[in-house]
Amino acid sequence: MTGTAAIVHDAALESYGFGGDHPFNPLRLRLTLELCEDLGLLEGYPLTPSEPATDDDLTTVHTLTYVRMVQEAGRGAALFSDLLDFGLGTADNPLFPDMHAACARVVGGVLESCRLVMGGGATHAMCVSGGLHHAMRSRASGFCVYNDAGVAIARLKEEHPGIRIAYVDTDAHHGDGVQWMFYEDPDVLTVSMHESGRHLFPGTGEVDEKGHGRGRGYSVNVPLRPFTDDDSFISTFEAVVPEVLRAFGPDLILSQNGCDAHKLDPLSHLSATTRLYGHVPARMHDLAHELCGGRWVATGGGGYDIWRVVPRAWASLWASVSHQDLPEKLPEGWRARWEGKSPVALPRLVRDDPADYPAGLRAREISDGNKRTAERVLREVLPSIR
Amino acid sequence: MLLVRDSMAREVATLSPGETAGAALALCRERRIRHLPVLEDGRLVGVVSDRDLRSATPAFGDPARAAALAEVRVGDVMAREVVTARPDDPIDGAANTMRERGINCLPVLEGDELVGIVTSSDVMDSLVFMLGAHEPGSRMEVVVPDRPGTLAGVAGLIGEFGINIVSVVTGPRQQDKPPSRVAVFRVDTINPVEAANALGRAGYRVLWPPQP
Repeated sequence: MTGTAAIVHDAALESYGFGGDHPFNPLRLRLTLELCEDLGLLEGYPLTPSEPATDDDLTTVHTLTYVRMVQEAGRGAALFSDLLDFGLGTADNPLFPDMHAACARVVGGVLESCRLVMGGGATHAMCVSGGLHHAMRSRASGFCVYNDAGVAIARLKEEHPGIRIAYVDTDAHHGDGVQWMFYEDPDVLTVSMHESGRHLFPGTGEVDEKGHGRGRGYSVNVPLRPFTDDDSFISTFEAVVPEVLRAFGPDLILSQNGCDAHKLDPLSHLSATTRLYGHVPARMHDLAHELCGGRWVATGGGGYDIWRVVPRAWASLWASVSHQDLPEKLPEGWRARWEGKSPVALPRLVRDDPADYPAGLRAREISDGNKRTAERVLREVLPSIR
Repeated sequence: MLLVRDSMAREVATLSPGETAGAALALCRERRIRHLPVLEDGRLVGVVSDRDLRSATPAFGDPARAAALAEVRVGDVMAREVVTARPDDPIDGAANTMRERGINCLPVLEGDELVGIVTSSDVMDSLVFMLGAHEPGSRMEVVVPDRPGTLAGVAGLIGEFGINIVSVVTGPRQQDKPPSRVAVFRVDTINPVEAANALGRAGYRVLWPPQP
């Protein structure tokens, strides 16, 4: 498995954050990139800069009214009560200065990654700031203002008529924004594996959300039980994802690699470890080579244990994207630099020790439940995918 | 809101007592419905369900079926004692009537005129709508003592975090002594954790999200 890899990033992408003690903290990008650097994973991989998305890019999936509202919000020029109708100025999506520019940059980063891969500039690309999958057509939601994957997919469809794109989302939260944007489109397969919406935001992502009209069967949802662990997550992933991707036959795979399914994450109730964040990218990599000449773009996403989980999970993602081996130990320099600033003790190893994560009491019951869900997904959607 | 008129279907497929079981079943299939009010001279005289029709006719494959479908009349199998609702009845009352009587539909009358029909699926829709389950949100479950002001206290704390409450439902929790209620909130946020922790510090028992 070979191919060239690109990492799309520049410091301006770290301006997407809501400030204060908001859980979506851009420091997680800094921690990730410095970890990649200190692990030696960036040698020979210069950071590729990108331009912000234009208004024309954004309005492929967002309304112009909404884009104008975000622009005014960042200038402090909009009425607070008007903003709330667009999901802006809430506890989840507070206003911050120049928010339009920061949000448009994230979209631009993912767009650049996709264009690089489609244009042959790289076989795989990663833009770890992307993955803002909850943003809706006219509404900010769940820390997401503009939908980077939505815009990138819509643009690729214009630039490469007939292209088929598989979007695979393993964030702990349902990838609702992307799903609804392409709910009637048989050329975009969206696959989301997430903690069941019965208890977790955004509440959607049941198996019977399968797409509509010509797109029926092209929205695949695998809701997992709360407290699902690595074993069950991985076997459910293996049961569903390769099958549906093979049935679909994509020209490009776009993966959303949120890492908030980790047991330490404060915003979800899944029980994964770094093993999941080694497995999923490795398999996306294999499937991209098997199905679409290696064309694979990976983004970040959720992940709110920014000290212990996010940097290690996404360094592992980059190692997969760039075909490099992941060292075992966390570099002393990185630990020393951040130790004083972290409110929690930093790990010493790149991978979690399974002994620290014993199986839960109900692991068997949970894994049986997930297995039945996977069977139902295959029964209900596989026949309609072609 | 939450009245029968908000949930009922206004275009009602009806039959007359003289129509055949075959015609009635075909109408159920075509309109994908299970309940048909029966009218005679514009007045409601009965209700027939696809189940009534099926039990009155031989099963598929039985050679006698075709003849029976043409012979059995709606008037022979319909329920004549019809429980009805009015458009301004609360939907929860209509739901309770259906539950108590073990039936799945209520024709809706205004005076003597049939103006709609409400079925158990309509009640389900209104439950989903009422709970806000079709909008993005997280779930919070909090045990509140069955005393004045406690729900207001919880809601006020959630409000202090700038979190919008999409819906709230409370139900009794019999196992507690003294009895308490569980309040289930649907809140418009991806991050209910801090509000949940604050509720815990204020002495409330939070059942979801799980507390550390």
